[in-house]
Amino acid sequence: MVMYEGNVHSTNKEWQISDLMTCVIARLLKDRETVFHGVSSHLPMVAMQLAKQLHAPNLVHLNIPGGVNPTSLRETTYSSAGPDLLRSAESSFSLAEVFDLSMRGKLDVAFLGGIQFDVKGNVNASTIGPYKKPKVRLPGGAGSAVLIPTAKKAIIWRTKHDRRTFVEDVDFVTTRGNLWKIVTPLCVFGYRDGRLMLDAIHPNTTVEEVQENTGFKLQYDHIEYTKAPTREEMGVLRRVDPKNVRSLEF
Amino acid sequence: MSKRMGLEEAVQSFVKDGDVLTFSGNALHRAPMAFVRELVRQNKQQLQVAKTAAALDVDLLCAFGLMDTVHAGFVSYETKYGLASYYRKAVEAGQVKANEHACYTVICALRGAVMNVPFMPVHGLKYGDLLVENDYFMVVENPFEESAEENPGDEVERVTLVKTIRPDLAVIHAHMCDEEGNAIIHGAQYEDILISRAAKRVVITAETVVKKGKLNSGAEKVDIPGFLVDAVVHVPNGAKPCSCEGKYDVQDMELRTFLETKSMEDLRSWVKTYEKADRSFIGKGRNSGGVRSW
Repeated sequence: MVMYEGNVHSTNKEWQISDLMTCVIARLLKDRETVFHGVSSHLPMVAMQLAKQLHAPNLVHLNIPGGVNPTSLRETTYSSAGPDLLRSAESSFSLAEVFDLSMRGKLDVAFLGGIQFDVKGNVNASTIGPYKKPKVRLPGGAGSAVLIPTAKKAIIWRTKHDRRTFVEDVDFVTTRGNLWKIVTPLCVFGYRDGRLMLDAIHPNTTVEEVQENTGFKLQYDHIEYTKAPTREEMGVLRRVDPKNVRSLEF
Repeated sequence: MSKRMGLEEAVQSFVKDGDVLTFSGNALHRAPMAFVRELVRQNKQQLQVAKTAAALDVDLLCAFGLMDTVHAGFVSYETKYGLASYYRKAVEAGQVKANEHACYTVICALRGAVMNVPFMPVHGLKYGDLLVENDYFMVVENPFEESAEENPGDEVERVTLVKTIRPDLAVIHAHMCDEEGNAIIHGAQYEDILISRAAKRVVITAETVVKKGKLNSGAEKVDIPGFLVDAVVHVPNGAKPCSCEGKYDVQDMELRTFLETKSMEDLRSWVKTYEKADRSFIGKGRNSGGVRSW
C-alpha cells in the first residue's frame, strides 16, 4: 500500500495540491459570512483572502491577533497569529470576543485542525494513546473544543491523508459537533447523518487511491471531481499570497 | 512611587517554587522571554503556566525540568518551527501534567479570577473526552430552569463549568511603561489585559521605561493602569527571540539554535548568551555594578 504523504507537487505544472486545496476551501465560503482561523492556519487564511477577492468581498476575516479584515498578507510569514494581521486591519476584535461571538451563534465558519479523524466525525488533536499517559502528546485542540460545537460550520483541513489520520475510531475525542467539511490533498469529506461521507475527489486521484489511504470504508452518494484551479483563481492566488505561505504545511 | 527593579530582583521577589504563572503574548509573539530565562537562571521549580497558546516560554521551562503543570489550549510552535518537543517529551515521560483546555476555557477560567468566583459557566464545551478526563470541568443542570420538576418530560439544560485559575503572577512584556507601571502595548494585545486583571500580582517588563508623567500618550491609551502593577523591569529586547510588534520580528537564527539544542550544555549556553542583555538594567538605571559597565 502506498501511503500518501501530502506531496505538494501535482502531476501538472499549472497548480500544486496546496493551490487546489486553497481554491476548494475558498469556494466553500460565502459573501458576508464571519470566518475565523487560528494559529498554524496559513492555508485557510489565504483561502479567505482569495474568496474575498473573488466571490465574497464582504466576508469578515477574524483571527487571533484581533485584526478584522486584514487587507494584505504580504507581511505574513511563519505565523497566522502575528501582529501583522492587525496592522493592516479595519478594526480590532480580540480572540476572546471571537469566542464569545461563536458562543452567541454568530460565527458562521471556523477553520480548525486536528491530527486524527474518525468515520463518526470525532476530532483528535490531543493525544495518541491514553490522555494521562500519552504515547504522543499533540499540541492540543486550541479553540476546537468550543468552536466546532458552536460555529455554524466547522471546516477542517489536513495536509496529510493516510490511514493513521483517517481512522475507524480516534484515540481521544477532543471534540465533535458542527463539522461540515474536511478538505485533504485527496478529497473532500462532508459530515452528514452522523458520519463522514465522500463528497468529491480531487482531479489528481481516484476513489481507489482515496480508499487505500483511508482507514474506514468510504461511503458516497455519487462521486464528483473537484474543479481544478481556474486561471483566474491562480492569478488572484499569486497576488494575495506572493510568498506561497499556503504551501508551508506541506 | 517608582517600582523599577532589575530582572534578578523581580524574579527573586515575586516568584516562588510552585507558583502559577501566566505570560503575555501568543505562540511566538511577545512572550516575556527575558523573565522566563531568569526563572531558569534562578532554578525556580514546580511551576505552573496558564496561557491560551504557548510555545517557547513553556518549552524552555520544560527543557530545564522546571514545569509541573501546563494549563493551555495549544502548546506548539507554528508550522515552520515544528512541535514543542521538550514539552512533548516531558508530558510523555510523565514529568509534566498537560491540562488541556480549549483556549476559550483558559479565558473563562481567568475571567473567574477577575470576578472572584470559583468557577465560570462556559458555553460550547459540550462533547468529548476533555470533559471526562479533566477534573477542572464539570457539567451541571441549569439551577434556574423551572420546568424540570414541573414538566419531568422536558430535558434540563446542561451547563459546563470550568474551575477558576488564579495565577500568582502575570508577567507582561510591554512596549512602554512609566516607573509606576502604567503600561502601553502596541498592536495585538492577545489576552494581556485579561491576565493583568486575573493575577494576584503583575510584573511588567518593558522595551522602554520612562519617568512618571512622561508617557505623553493620554490616559485612555494606557492599557494596564499602574496601580495594578507590582514591579517594572526595563528589558529592551525582552521578548527575543519571540516577536515584539513594531520593534523586532522573530529571531530566526536564535530560535533555531534553541530548537537544535541536543544537551543540557547546549541549553545552558543558549540561556547564557542572553544573560548580559537580560540583566543590563537594575533599579533606576543601567547595571554598572560589576556585571557590566558601558
